[in-house]
Amino acid sequence: MRDFRTCATTGLRVHRQADALIKANAVVATVTLLVGGLAAILVLLTRWQAIHLLDVIPFYRWLTIHGMNMLIFFIIFFEMAVLYFAGPVLLNCRVPVPKLAWASFGLMVIGTLMVEWMMFAGRADVLFTSYVPLQADHWFYLGVILFAVGALLVTCIFFASLVVAKREKTYEGSVPLVTFGGLTAAIIAVITLAHGAAIYIPTWLWSIGIGNVDAQVYRMVWWGLGHSSQQINVAAMVACWYLLGALTVGATVINEKISRAAFVLYILFISMASAHHLLVDPGFGPAWKVVNTSYFMYMAVLASMIHGFTVPAGIEVGQRIRGFTKGMFEWLRRAPWGDPGFSALIFSVIIFGFVGGITGVTFGTEQINIIAHNTLRIPGHFHATVVGGTALAFMGVTYYVVPLIFRKKIAFWSLAKIQPYLFAGGMLIFSVAMTFAGTFGVPRRHWDITFANAPFDLQFSPAVDLLIAVTAIGGLLAALGGAIFILCTVWSVFFGKPMEEIGPSSMEEGAAV
Amino acid sequence: MVMHGVPNGIVNPPPPPPEQEPGAEIGGGLGWAPGTIILVFVFLAAFATYYFTNWKLLSFLWEVG
Repeated sequence: MRDFRTCATTGLRVHRQADALIKANAVVATVTLLVGGLAAILVLLTRWQAIHLLDVIPFYRWLTIHGMNMLIFFIIFFEMAVLYFAGPVLLNCRVPVPKLAWASFGLMVIGTLMVEWMMFAGRADVLFTSYVPLQADHWFYLGVILFAVGALLVTCIFFASLVVAKREKTYEGSVPLVTFGGLTAAIIAVITLAHGAAIYIPTWLWSIGIGNVDAQVYRMVWWGLGHSSQQINVAAMVACWYLLGALTVGATVINEKISRAAFVLYILFISMASAHHLLVDPGFGPAWKVVNTSYFMYMAVLASMIHGFTVPAGIEVGQRIRGFTKGMFEWLRRAPWGDPGFSALIFSVIIFGFVGGITGVTFGTEQINIIAHNTLRIPGHFHATVVGGTALAFMGVTYYVVPLIFRKKIAFWSLAKIQPYLFAGGMLIFSVAMTFAGTFGVPRRHWDITFANAPFDLQFSPAVDLLIAVTAIGGLLAALGGAIFILCTVWSVFFGKPMEEIGPSSMEEGAAV
Repeated sequence: MVMHGVPNGIVNPPPPPPEQEPGAEIGGGLGWAPGTIILVFVFLAAFATYYFTNWKLLSFLWEVG
């Protein structure tokens, strides 16, 4: 029994190995967030044409560093922490194979270090997508493969923890909804990582001179990794929404079956929906594109819309049955807006749904995609989903993970309380302004939109300068919010005051998640 | 109770919900989750506006005639 501790706040029996693995993954996630955030500032100050900070090669190098750290390392390390929480912690069971879990973590760290080394050494200036025939050093591809194998092993350990919990009868009835969301994320992770192996192994072989990789095949299979990995985020983010709703205001799950069915829709349709990245590619017929993006993609969108309804509705119902029944919005007005977990939850839902969701569905239409593709509208969209949605939800959860798992108080509490407002406000301004700049045709991934020394001349609307400046200001605000988050969490973990024991609380709520 | 550095949901966890009669009215006479329903319509309006704007932009790009 000394392998477990009982959380004085939640009453959960926490396996010490799960505790340590959550801490390790969360710490590495935060370090990669810091690296990716610094890269973001450099990229931003270069795309802001008035400053245009970096030269062309460093720009693409830092853009690669930004993409890999934010979209792969930060997000997936944090998701591994979520899996250890949603599995062994919520199910009150042990981590089935702790040594393998640590070996997997080691593989992921080694893979990360290899990729970082290659990127910083300038031997992998291939951006996040690493489209062939652009070629990076073979250590880059090997690093990605090692990272993916480590992550795949963690998902297998998560599945094993479900079996162990069932066999050892550590929970009753169905698994909690948050665990079900974690299961969804894990299943999508397996699909994602299988695509990664299918494309990165041949690409690695190609980089050492064995065989060849077709550019169109690469794009199709790679997006099975590139987009599906973001769907792991979505599933994990939604699980975090339900968790935060229950922890902060005692939100109810208004209909378990519908919420679980929506998670299943993600599993069934999200991978095929990746085809929307190939809508303007010449290698695929219209029928293939239409089936994948106008049927399968909308089923995945339906899932997000269901969660986008059930989460606020659960909060409203939870608040109303506790007496906040005046008018339409007393339940929202009287909510704990000073709790960074709650404000992060609400802003995550709004930015993900209203900005990321609406723009994403719109770009999934082939004809509209023709005008949006390869413009700033696309990064405007996915910064709303991945940063304003997922990263913000993860930040909200971290404000609970630090006291509950690390047993430390949040340092700089006053700053922590305003951090979600700064980050969400900045990302909202950034995403909307960037999307509108793209509407004027400003290309994405481009170092110099004045096209200096180009054989042609292209003038954008004068509004573009204003929109790019607003984008930069929004981005800097968000970066400030991100910096405050890192300051608060790192300081809390390493130098923070320990938590005093708080008496056992009503675990009925914890059980509801 | 207020504790500096600890989120409200840990210091003052939400109380267990009171027992509800099956089918009990919880919306204060306004239906089931009326605030969320209003938000759904705001979302729908935003969606329709953005989607329409995109087709309008497309029509500028690919003019007929």
